[in-house]
Amino acid sequence: MKRESAGTDRALARTLKIGAYSAFGCIVVGLALHFAGFGDRVTTIGMIVLLATPVLRIIVAGVQFLREHDIAYVLVSLGVLGIIALAYVLGLHA
Amino acid sequence: MTLGFFLVLVAIGFLVGGFGALAGIGGGVVLTPLVAIYYGLPMHQAIGVSLVCVIATSTATSALYVEQHVTDIRLGMLLELATTLGALIAALMARHIDRRTLALMFACFLTYSAFSMVGKAWGSRKREEEAPVTDYQVKNYPLGMAASLVAGAFSGLLGIGGGPIKVPVMYLFMKVPLRVATATSNFMIGVTAATSAIVYWGHGDVNLNIAAPLVAGTFAGSLLAARIKHQVHTFYILILLIAVTGLFAVQMFYKLATGGFR
Repeated sequence: MKRESAGTDRALARTLKIGAYSAFGCIVVGLALHFAGFGDRVTTIGMIVLLATPVLRIIVAGVQFLREHDIAYVLVSLGVLGIIALAYVLGLHA
Repeated sequence: MTLGFFLVLVAIGFLVGGFGALAGIGGGVVLTPLVAIYYGLPMHQAIGVSLVCVIATSTATSALYVEQHVTDIRLGMLLELATTLGALIAALMARHIDRRTLALMFACFLTYSAFSMVGKAWGSRKREEEAPVTDYQVKNYPLGMAASLVAGAFSGLLGIGGGPIKVPVMYLFMKVPLRVATATSNFMIGVTAATSAIVYWGHGDVNLNIAAPLVAGTFAGSLLAARIKHQVHTFYILILLIAVTGLFAVQMFYKLATGGFR
């Protein structure tokens, strides 16, 4: 198996970090707002950021594979995205 | 939600996320029974809550592993085709499985996890310098895909990451170095758990009042743990986790035998 290029690793690590810290931040602020009596909207946004980060990570990896002209793994990324999209459709709207 | 209730949940999340990240486990195996036994959440909600915490641990710790170039991203994403499919099917099936059956399956998995951690603890008695990862050739793709499908299904059904299934298969049969297998499994967990978490969320099984403080604690614990990982001897943490999972397994079997989890 080909070891990953430094660029791919860097892009993915950055995506995961940004996702983790922004979800964490939203949830902390959201919980503070909850106790201040402002409802749960920001907390919900934090949870959505948490769920969206892995999805974003697949997209970033797919773009990196495309740049490296590795079409097989672009298709793998699209396949995983497709299954998640199916979960969204079947889970939230069925 | 009262402040005391909230602080206890943050503290639990912090401990589970922190110790979990140090020992290299997601923590779902501890969180699901904890909220099911002590907070009386119905199994489906306990699983939904646990899933979002597992995503938090995976996201926080895999950023670091990826940075250290020990994650096999292509292998992980290939296996994710199977884990997400398994997770989706299992999450859709879970609503048709009654609570007691889920609890029984969980109790069995807890027992298995406790034993698999005993093996892991035995291996970590002596503190070793981590050797640099050597070149390797991945073997046995079909077996790896099949195991990933099963691991994904367990994840969607029980709210766990599925590391105890994937890591041994990658290491023993696919000939991936242990460090790479652990990092890659951890990397896959976020995507796998997100797939089933979306379904649980859609069914209203992610209780925000319990999940949000737990996730906040889990994030803080695992982000901190990822930083100090190298200064800590994991042997004692594993012993603690074995004791906790063993205790929960006994409690779950007892509660099942006395007619609980309805």
